[in-house]
Amino acid sequence: MNNACLTFVLLLVMGLVIGPVFAQQDAERNRFFVQQMIDLAAAHNSKGVETMQRMLEQNPQPAALDPAAANASFQWGQAALQQDNLEDALKAFQKTVQDDPGNVDAFNHLGLLYRKLNQFPDAERALQHALSLEPARAGSWFQLAQIYGLQNDQRRALGALANTYRYAQNPMKAEEILRYIAENEAVETLRNAALETLQLYQLPAQPAIVPPLSPNPALFK
Amino acid sequence: MKILLKILIWVTPLAMMRTIAAGQYETFDYHVQQMIIHAAANDMTSVQTFRELLENLHRPEPGDSQQATPFSQQGQENLARSNLKNALAAFRQAFIADPADPDIAGHLALTYLRLNRLREAERLSVYALYLSPAHSTHWLTLGEIYGHLRDPQRAAGAMMNAYHFAQDRPQLAGQLRKLATTDDIDEVRIGALQALQSISPRTASSGASNPGEPGHTTPPSLATPAPSIASETQAITAENPRQKVYRRAISLTCLIITFQNGKTANLGSGFLVSSDGLVMTNNHVIEKAENLAVRCGDQESKAEVRRRSKTPDLALLTTSLKTKENLALNETYNRDLVGLDIFVIGSPYGLEGTFSTGIISGLREIEGVRYIQISAPISPGNSGGPVLLRDGTVIGIATLGSKVGQNLNFAIAAAEIVISNFFDPARMKSQRLNGKPHLD
Repeated sequence: MNNACLTFVLLLVMGLVIGPVFAQQDAERNRFFVQQMIDLAAAHNSKGVETMQRMLEQNPQPAALDPAAANASFQWGQAALQQDNLEDALKAFQKTVQDDPGNVDAFNHLGLLYRKLNQFPDAERALQHALSLEPARAGSWFQLAQIYGLQNDQRRALGALANTYRYAQNPMKAEEILRYIAENEAVETLRNAALETLQLYQLPAQPAIVPPLSPNPALFK
Repeated sequence: MKILLKILIWVTPLAMMRTIAAGQYETFDYHVQQMIIHAAANDMTSVQTFRELLENLHRPEPGDSQQATPFSQQGQENLARSNLKNALAAFRQAFIADPADPDIAGHLALTYLRLNRLREAERLSVYALYLSPAHSTHWLTLGEIYGHLRDPQRAAGAMMNAYHFAQDRPQLAGQLRKLATTDDIDEVRIGALQALQSISPRTASSGASNPGEPGHTTPPSLATPAPSIASETQAITAENPRQKVYRRAISLTCLIITFQNGKTANLGSGFLVSSDGLVMTNNHVIEKAENLAVRCGDQESKAEVRRRSKTPDLALLTTSLKTKENLALNETYNRDLVGLDIFVIGSPYGLEGTFSTGIISGLREIEGVRYIQISAPISPGNSGGPVLLRDGTVIGIATLGSKVGQNLNFAIAAAEIVISNFFDPARMKSQRLNGKPHLD
């Protein structure tokens, strides 16, 4: 084997080993930025949130590897989702993000599906990925807040809800949604986080004196 | 000055585009406040200028009106019946579905006002005016809100705009006159009066025609329901005796929630025995509670135990609730009661406001306490709730049920509360529904 050939093989091996490491490092770094956005939002540090947002927005958007296949699996996933076929929808959207790692909608759908399947760490990862691609997407922040609420992580639920409000297209609507959650949400962590978010932005809020009653176990069909 | 304002018309939208795109409440609030200030100064040209500025601001994305419409209709029905909590829930759903509909935003603002949630009411009302700056009703609501916020100047300015933009000005003048003379809040009355004084005397008096005169229009209340809803409400108001008892007692009957370690521990029932918030219930409902909360009708409050006893199984709670009336105790306890119709309201298994009927099956004394045996079904969660006669008085407190047999349930006789010295029954203000006790 001559030197050129050896170098080529070495580079190939390095690429195979180091490439995923770098990609993983990128993903870890992006997750870090998303977490920073949550922490800074919970501390009402607008400038800090904006800085982290810009850091994420500077990332190059990953190109689709196979746009046609990605599109096909995305359509399949949406159809499965409409039929409430969660397993098929999950498979379809997993395929979509393989073929198009920049597809924010697919990552969002994955977040929703993992939540429905009670796979909270996977849901969190998918939504963090969506937010690293589009950090000003209010809908993803809202979904992420729900994940943290379900995991009893009030601080991060607060940060995610604060970003939901920050990036909402219609803040009056977002404000009313937060009020609705603060008064009616059955998950106490999320209810408290919504109340704190309203207080963070100095918006009028009224805590629920009588919390929403959980579904009645005595009822049956 | 006017030229400057004209320039502003062109410059401001460009400058504001970015902030409005971000949906800054402060931006449209500024314009609404300017319209109020100029109206109060009788400078209607500037009002018009700021109206145009407001109309030139970026509009929010339209929502799903098809989804919002049924919620909005539900909200209006509940508002007309003063079911404010349900109205709030429905209008909220409607608003979330279509936040660009000014009527929905206006109704939500009005509901918040009726619930005395004034800051929310102000924000929604200002937002409704951003969506529709020449909507007279929204201005009138905002005027009322500022009156409630003890700001008569802004109340007057907003009400003047209501008049300025009204399609039927005599009718609006009538509404202002009604507010000026009958509203409970001083600042609402002052604001309405100032607005009336600013309106040209001739126009105002044309709206002030006496009943019976040609052109007289009856001022509708702010929450006047649409005709279809009104007629539906009238039809429902033709109530049978059971409904009469239910409608009278439901807002005075309470859900009681107990908390332990910050979590909901137990649910029970109770009822208001005074207009200053005393709630009667069973001791066993609250005995293990670390904290307590009650919901009576639309009102909620934290509660504390004022007095309690194991025998008889009674507890009296203090709350911050204020009501115009309360349920009255009926201390009758004799054989004439047996066979009378009774009505039970409570929250069995948390099913709030459950109404059931039965008769008084007997009188029993258990461990020295007088009970009324009833045939109405009761379940866990009913404990502490009122057992009512047809005249609306409380004859007992639902307390016990037999695990064997059928419909063998027991209520502590109200006579036991009266002799218990838990509170002075003279505090009770309520009258019976039919004047006399219904014992025949």
